[in-house]
Amino acid sequence: MNARGLRRYIDDLLRGRRPRPFHPDDFEAAQIRTAIDLRAARLGGDAPSEGFLADLRSRLSAQMNNEAVTPPRMSPTRRQVIVGTSAAAAAAVAGVSADRLLFREHTGESPTTANSGELVPNKGTWRAVASSADVAEGEMHQFEVGPLIGFVRRVDGRAEAISGVCTHQGCRLWFDKPDGSLRCPCHTTSFTPTGQVLTHQLPIAPRPLPRLEVREVDGSIEVFVPTPPSQPS
Amino acid sequence: MMAQHDRVPRPMLRVVSDGRYATWADVYQDNATWVYRTIYARVGNHADAEDLTAEVFLAALRPLRISATVAEVRAYLRATARTVLAAHWRETLGREITSIDDSALAAPDSEEAISTAPQQVRGLLERLPDNYRRVLQLRFLESRSIKESAAELGISVANAKVLQHRALRLAAQMNEKDER
Repeated sequence: MNARGLRRYIDDLLRGRRPRPFHPDDFEAAQIRTAIDLRAARLGGDAPSEGFLADLRSRLSAQMNNEAVTPPRMSPTRRQVIVGTSAAAAAAVAGVSADRLLFREHTGESPTTANSGELVPNKGTWRAVASSADVAEGEMHQFEVGPLIGFVRRVDGRAEAISGVCTHQGCRLWFDKPDGSLRCPCHTTSFTPTGQVLTHQLPIAPRPLPRLEVREVDGSIEVFVPTPPSQPS
Repeated sequence: MMAQHDRVPRPMLRVVSDGRYATWADVYQDNATWVYRTIYARVGNHADAEDLTAEVFLAALRPLRISATVAEVRAYLRATARTVLAAHWRETLGREITSIDDSALAAPDSEEAISTAPQQVRGLLERLPDNYRRVLQLRFLESRSIKESAAELGISVANAKVLQHRALRLAAQMNEKDER
């Protein structure tokens, strides 16, 4: 319970000031949530100011232009540290979200994304990626079809396919046959043939490789290739 | 009043050929507004929205592959915003107050993905008793002072404060119930 902290927080929201931190309990958190909804529902009240947009543009410009020459700062402020960790965290999700988007954008229903990020697109076509004879038990067969890059292999006679793009930043993986792992050339991440992360040197473990839908028809192995998202209007 | 929200003009400056951005400046220009509005809808104030939007772009642009498609860039920016917002709540209130979901069925720059607050609030206000609805409208939506609101409602300032307090509590209770 922190009635004063809550009152002050709501008051700050109403006055357009930066709200001050405190430790709300469950119900106080619910009231903050409702207050935020109410403020956010104001007509046109959520537009960024021109001044802010221009200022951020010049900050970004400085960052992007100095990228190569600016050495890491010696004593980062708290904010800079936060930016740093966020960048890492963001980078960790970038690959997979871009991957997933491909399948999610126009499917119209939520794919099952629990952990492995299994892809269940419902718009697309089955496309042959290899002839059955080419994919022997234990072989890792790389394919590229439409927007998809992946590997197909045979396990106990059944074909399985996974994405061949690293879930970190989208680099293309290669199969290290002697090692039996999929390797990413960008950040030394490696995955098992089933798509699980084997090794990585990132602050946050990247997600496993998404599995792809695969079937075998008339002597060829086919992968379900979703329709590429048309450009958002 | 709130229905008009959908008609707020969005800048449509797209400097893209074949669905990709030419430079990082185009990425910023094309996406800054929806990223900002997505965050504003979840923090309710401009100071925090500005900080967090800056954090998203400062963090996101550097590792961005410029060869990514527009759709990929947008998904990436939304994912970055999700991470940044979650960190903001951890640091300020020690718990997650609002979030940016990652099961968005709509494009990240669409109104439904940016904010559901207008619909949410409309539904909520309809179910509140008159005086509660009125005080929340005056204070939160019309940004009227407590004094003005009291005058409008024909009650004392002290009573207006109590009314606002109780109205927000009831609204929050109803909101929570909806979510369960």
